[in-house]
Amino acid sequence: MAKVILEPIGEPHERFLRDDVWRAQCDAAEEQGRALESKRAAVRAGWGPKYEARVREKGKLPTWERVERLKDSDSPVLPIGTLVNWGRTFGEDARTSPGAGVVTAFVRVHGRWVVVIANDNTVASGSWWPRTPEKIQRAQEAALSLRLPVIYLVDSSGLFLPEQSQTFPGRTGAGGIFRMNALLSAAGVPQIAGVHGDCIAGGGYMPIISDVVYMTEQAYMVIAGAALVKGGKSQKITSLSIGGPDVHVHQSRCADHRVPDDAVLLDRLRAEVAKLPSPAWEYYRYGADPAPPAYPPSELEGLFPVDHRMGFEMRHVLARLVDHSLFWEVLPGVGPEMICGVGRVGGLYAGFIANNPLLTDDPVKRDAKRPGGILYREGIAKVSQFSRALNDDGIPIIWLQDISGFDIGPEAEREGLLGYGSSLIYTNSANAVPMFTVLLRKASGAGYYALSGLPYRPVLQLATPMTRLAVMEGKTLAIGAYNAKLDDHFNIVAKTPEEAEETRRGMEAVEARISRDMDPVLAASRMDVDEIVRPGELRLWIESAVAMAYQSIGYRRVKNPRIWSLHDLSVLAG
Amino acid sequence: MFRRILVANRGEIALRVIRAAKGLGIETVAVFSEADRDGPWLAEADATVCIGPARADRSYLDAGSILQAAEQTGCQAVHPGYGFLAENAVFAARAEQQGITFIGPGPAAIRRVGDKVEAKRTLAAAGVPTIPGSDGVLTGLEDARSEAARIGYPVLLKAVAGGGGRGMRLCAGEGDLDRAFGEAALEAEKAFGNGGLYLEKYIDGGRHVEFQVLCDAFGKGIHLGERECSIQRHHQKLLEESPSPVMDAPTRVSIGERVAHAVASLGYRNAGTVEFLRAADGSLFFMEMNARLQVEHPVTEMVTGVDLVVEQIRLAALHPLRLRQEDVTFAGHAIELRINAEDPANGFRPDPGTIIAFEPPTAAGPGTRVRWDSAVRQGYRIPPNYDSMVGKLIVHAADRPRAIEAAKIALASLRIEGVRTTIPLHRAILEHPEFARGGYDVQFLERSGLTG
Repeated sequence: MAKVILEPIGEPHERFLRDDVWRAQCDAAEEQGRALESKRAAVRAGWGPKYEARVREKGKLPTWERVERLKDSDSPVLPIGTLVNWGRTFGEDARTSPGAGVVTAFVRVHGRWVVVIANDNTVASGSWWPRTPEKIQRAQEAALSLRLPVIYLVDSSGLFLPEQSQTFPGRTGAGGIFRMNALLSAAGVPQIAGVHGDCIAGGGYMPIISDVVYMTEQAYMVIAGAALVKGGKSQKITSLSIGGPDVHVHQSRCADHRVPDDAVLLDRLRAEVAKLPSPAWEYYRYGADPAPPAYPPSELEGLFPVDHRMGFEMRHVLARLVDHSLFWEVLPGVGPEMICGVGRVGGLYAGFIANNPLLTDDPVKRDAKRPGGILYREGIAKVSQFSRALNDDGIPIIWLQDISGFDIGPEAEREGLLGYGSSLIYTNSANAVPMFTVLLRKASGAGYYALSGLPYRPVLQLATPMTRLAVMEGKTLAIGAYNAKLDDHFNIVAKTPEEAEETRRGMEAVEARISRDMDPVLAASRMDVDEIVRPGELRLWIESAVAMAYQSIGYRRVKNPRIWSLHDLSVLAG
Repeated sequence: MFRRILVANRGEIALRVIRAAKGLGIETVAVFSEADRDGPWLAEADATVCIGPARADRSYLDAGSILQAAEQTGCQAVHPGYGFLAENAVFAARAEQQGITFIGPGPAAIRRVGDKVEAKRTLAAAGVPTIPGSDGVLTGLEDARSEAARIGYPVLLKAVAGGGGRGMRLCAGEGDLDRAFGEAALEAEKAFGNGGLYLEKYIDGGRHVEFQVLCDAFGKGIHLGERECSIQRHHQKLLEESPSPVMDAPTRVSIGERVAHAVASLGYRNAGTVEFLRAADGSLFFMEMNARLQVEHPVTEMVTGVDLVVEQIRLAALHPLRLRQEDVTFAGHAIELRINAEDPANGFRPDPGTIIAFEPPTAAGPGTRVRWDSAVRQGYRIPPNYDSMVGKLIVHAADRPRAIEAAKIALASLRIEGVRTTIPLHRAILEHPEFARGGYDVQFLERSGLTG
């Protein structure tokens, strides 16, 4: 009988970490976490109380408050793209655009996960900045991948015009949002729009493809505002008079219903979601109940060494992510530098593919060890086969990266790692099963690609405050750049002390620049990661992501565990 | 029905389960540690499997070994008895994922009733009276102070994840609370890895009264009346009786039915016990729920005629309850005496050793019944690795005075030599006028001076 037998993994932290080490690691994580939270708070504050007061004066709610009222009271808000445009300014007066002026988040409404896309009306009246369209499209992509309903809370005065050249014409220009509106509709994903205020040009197009459009009495949608209408002043034309609910609800039928204010509108949107089918996750739990891990997920904060060059036991991480800390490790004897296995998260099966950063036995040289966090032939083959099996079985994949890259050198080339790596790349690119990638720590080189980094379209790519995302570490790049001046052991070779000093300084400068570039905040600002989360929040994110992957039915393969091809793999492995 | 079940326990409860299963025509597999290879109960099982060394964490607590034994011997279900893995949600979950039925509530129910704050909240929501206390975990000393002021002193500070009195402090006033709070949190953090505390009103001189419930998988639940368990030493029960000498029939009916309804509505399955503290004025307050068969279950069986282990197995095999509440009747009075191998002269320290002479208790006269739940025999060596219980002497008679007399006679006929036992203590309790009156509370034993 093909049973899925999960075994306990992990231990209490007291067993494997000295108390002072544990405290030091917790303190380091706490400091990083606090820095992250202050950035989140800054984004959430938008342009500040003055702009929030302006919104309230108009009888409207600030955007974050709309999101809070939209969601179920017991639902978390899982925002993505919080730090997009962090540290950038635009226009001649150097304006900031917190969160690129739009909130994109996963929330539960009547027990269903939905994607909410809400213009931030406290940031330049919800204008679209450079990267705002990309951020919206990224959220739409996630909704399309998982067939999650999308709710638009529209309140946008259109493109931030001084920077229009960056947001209008390109492949991911604002028009891409409307294309995604259309593709979502074509795929049968419910879209529901609430129009709360100004919707000029792009803001006007975004809601129209939605299945249901609500407008408040303050809302208007226009292709162009009154300011651009010739003779508008003498005819006393206002944007509200040409595009308000009187016109769009009663004459043009571009909207369906009018409601007095934000509060009623949000209630109506909730009621629309309640009409949709209920989530399928209870069904896909196959009778199991969701359960927390046996070891508290909050302890993830203290598991990672302060020095990124030090290893840690990935199984202790997994033990704090899966229900009851029970896990089925598949093919544990092969390629031990990779950990592949299945656990339940919130009662639902998920596959985990994780680096093992510790030293493992060399398969050829007896009694020799080799470093983890590197892709060797056996590990790559195992991951490829496991990834294919999970895709075949419809088990969502969680990638946990702490990867320095592929093995290099004559042996690696002779073994054909290029080929094995490409096979893995092929597999992941062709996978249809939902994938979620977590850059726990290092995400370097082609290893970042091979383990489904962002270019391989995971539904979400999460980073932590420890993440270091780059082609290579600064030190490695410095060695590469100064190769001609180094010997076999990468020691500096120079004729004079001055020359040696120059080389050393040059290498340091390269290393420092790369280290700065590897800051996950920078990656988040550039949308190279979807969100930075604290290690202690990972279980919540993964549990939510897996639930989302099992919410809708009929669009992807979900095999019941009796007929998993994983069992075949396990039998063949002996 | 199951064809074969594994009994994941030892001693008298293993034997109890083996015999109940036999009565249902079910084969049994007994597991044992190396220390128990001569366990007299093993002979009655159809097969036995050694699961590890004497240390309980490598044998009776080793879920992997036990489930492997179940798999290899083709068992369809596992009965955990009490203690060991009986209330271990992960064990229940692991058994179920292997397609082995856990004879008890499911993992989710075990976890839900194991969280004391959560259990209290759900039972309160279902209309069961609870001790006034803080609503959930205290956020800090400030919170504790204001909650204590609202509830009124004296208050009991308790650990959310607690048990066995650890992290528990009695506070007569704010001064006590200020002193105890940090200490208790630290103690709880150390003992349970969870420093969460909550507050309850302290009820002086209360009695420990518990209701037995049975629930099926189809949302129906019944109660089998109450047990009185106030004869305790250091929170360890020593003597239990049913019915409670202070419970009247209308209260039994009204509380019992509310409890059965509440537990069933939680999605709870199988046998369970709901513990109450009974204040001196007769009011009952929910304390906690035990998601297992209790040691003292025989007194309930004696007055109701229901075999709880048989019902547990039936319910686990997804049979509906065969008794309706109105089918449950209470007849006579039952008393259970726990006979432990302990040395009364040495602070009741366990006194393991070899039983050199043994005679089981005999009948105690017409109209009475005597039951001896034990797995010992002459020549049996009680291993030092586990609890020190030798057996349970249960008597039943038409009413309480006659049951007490019967207990005295049965006790006099029980002979255990080679180890020191609690028999003399039981004799003294049975002779005590306060016990005879039935007006005792949980502090009776310590007050009485009988325990030295």
